[in-house]
Amino acid sequence: MTTTMTATTADVQPRSHSFPVGRATLRALAGGFLLVFVLLPLIAVARSVVDGGWATTWQALTSRVALSSIALTLWTAAIVAVVNGFMGTLTAWVLVRYRFPGHAAVNAIIDLPIAIPTLVTGVMLVVLYGPQQPIGAWFAGHGFKLLFAPAGIILALLFVTFPFVVRAVEPVLMEIDADQEEAAATLGASRRRTFVSVILPALAPALLTSCLLTFTRALGEFGSVVIVAGNIPRRTLTAPVYVFGAIESGETGAASAMSLLLIGLSALLIFAADRYARRRALRMGAR
Amino acid sequence: MWSSLERRLAAFVFGATLLPLSACGGRATEDVGSVVGVADELVIAAYSAPREAFERALIPAFEAEWKRTTGRSAKVRASYLGSGAQSRAVIQGFEADVAVLALESDVDKIARAGLIPNDWRTRTGANGTVARSLVVLAVRSGNPRGLHDWDDLGAADLEVLTPNPRTSGGAMWNLIAMYGSAALGPGGSAEAGVDRVRRVFRNVSVMDKGARESLVNFERGIGDVAITYEQEVHVARKAGRNYDYVIPPRTVAIDIPAAVIDGYARPRGHQALAEAFVAFLRRADAQPLWADWGFRPVGEAFAQPSHAAFPRLKADQTFAVAALGGWKSVMPSLFATRGSLTMAIEDVQATR
Repeated sequence: MTTTMTATTADVQPRSHSFPVGRATLRALAGGFLLVFVLLPLIAVARSVVDGGWATTWQALTSRVALSSIALTLWTAAIVAVVNGFMGTLTAWVLVRYRFPGHAAVNAIIDLPIAIPTLVTGVMLVVLYGPQQPIGAWFAGHGFKLLFAPAGIILALLFVTFPFVVRAVEPVLMEIDADQEEAAATLGASRRRTFVSVILPALAPALLTSCLLTFTRALGEFGSVVIVAGNIPRRTLTAPVYVFGAIESGETGAASAMSLLLIGLSALLIFAADRYARRRALRMGAR
Repeated sequence: MWSSLERRLAAFVFGATLLPLSACGGRATEDVGSVVGVADELVIAAYSAPREAFERALIPAFEAEWKRTTGRSAKVRASYLGSGAQSRAVIQGFEADVAVLALESDVDKIARAGLIPNDWRTRTGANGTVARSLVVLAVRSGNPRGLHDWDDLGAADLEVLTPNPRTSGGAMWNLIAMYGSAALGPGGSAEAGVDRVRRVFRNVSVMDKGARESLVNFERGIGDVAITYEQEVHVARKAGRNYDYVIPPRTVAIDIPAAVIDGYARPRGHQALAEAFVAFLRRADAQPLWADWGFRPVGEAFAQPSHAAFPRLKADQTFAVAALGGWKSVMPSLFATRGSLTMAIEDVQATR
């Protein structure tokens, strides 16, 4: 018994000591970094809201332009989260399960949206889908406005947030043993049944977290949206572009209030997703 | 197979090569390292429209003159941003010696922060104005939609481009042109002004964040007409892009103010050079350089410039913001959150 105990501690000890600095230093470093580069800016935003006073904040968030921009931002982000959740899983599935010519290239392309400045993304979309371009003109001819309309916002967001679901779901798919699927098949499960009761439950935490991440990233997207949306108040003006307008007009209070709302919403969602993923992981571990 | 880091790096390089495609502003001119320390230095905080006039004509001419008259070399560097953003940057610590902005009120903001003396208008004469332009209508070659006056922009099935007044000083000039053309003069009223803005905005489907972006979109083939500065069209022509412009029967004369930022220039020993630069911008011999890049001269010659590129203006074709009470009155009454034009634009858009 004693020997086992010693063995266990011996197993664990070297890992925490393999870092060249002590635990306290590590914690201080990580905590300090988080404080300076993440928390302080957030506190500054919150402070300017408090400085602006609650009346300003309330007015800024409940004006008709603000309300419609929040609504537009939420529904476009929701559509994008669902579409990319589906297409991202599908893409990850194809990447993990099939080998095909150009596999490496496709794999590399998936990360590109993160690296391209979003302003460039916007310009790219205008060049590609603009009303004078073949694709945009075809849609316009059929009575559907692609750019400078909510559809344009969705196109931009789909592009910018594409990698999140793929990269989150991919490692989970790799980990699922072919054995489990084979076992399900041997027990007479159809392919659909196998997918629904074996693969989907395993995917769920990663899929949900990454969909929420997609959603929160979409909430804050500015660079590409400001170019393709049209930015018409109460029609195509999103919340981040509203914030930009408020800043440029010297309405710091309104800008901070809307920012804080977006930050709060994101924080809530990320927190919820994190909790869900942890609980789920615990349950899976307990099984 | 590439590692994830390599992949991201490659992607970034690819992204960076695409960057010049984007028409974003904010480039500071490059520093010529070898001259710094020997040369007299000057930093200009400018808005985006005079970039070409400054970089291609005015700054080189001024540097040459400074060398000729003082024997010392001068290095003038300029940063270009939206007028409002530039004014904020200066207030928040961007140590520029001279401000050249789109709106008098943006210079006033810097003055209120204590960096520019409050008498900056009278200090240099001509109300602080160094160059002028007009709000005009950029139309497709040959003016196929037959647009001549503001009310023509309200026609059915027409697409109008104008930047967002909440983010662009240029957009405010556009709105003042529309509003003032109906509000001033015999039979004019504030209601008529607001009504004109409302009618035009029924056809606005894109409000870009800046004046340049808006015109770039027009050049890409979006829209039938772009409300812009006369000077922007001239710059575009120099770059080989051809379309026409129409000067409405009544429009606003744009004053471009410049001021020395004493609060930064004096302690850094740049005051003399800064004052010389602002004086140079306004001088008669600098006016042809401005004109080459589309700006109209300050003073008498404004309506009848000798430069062949400019159409002559009829008497009374332009009005000044002063006729509407100046920026001090226009800002709160027209452009504030509950200003009449802000409200009108919001109303129009929701009813579509």
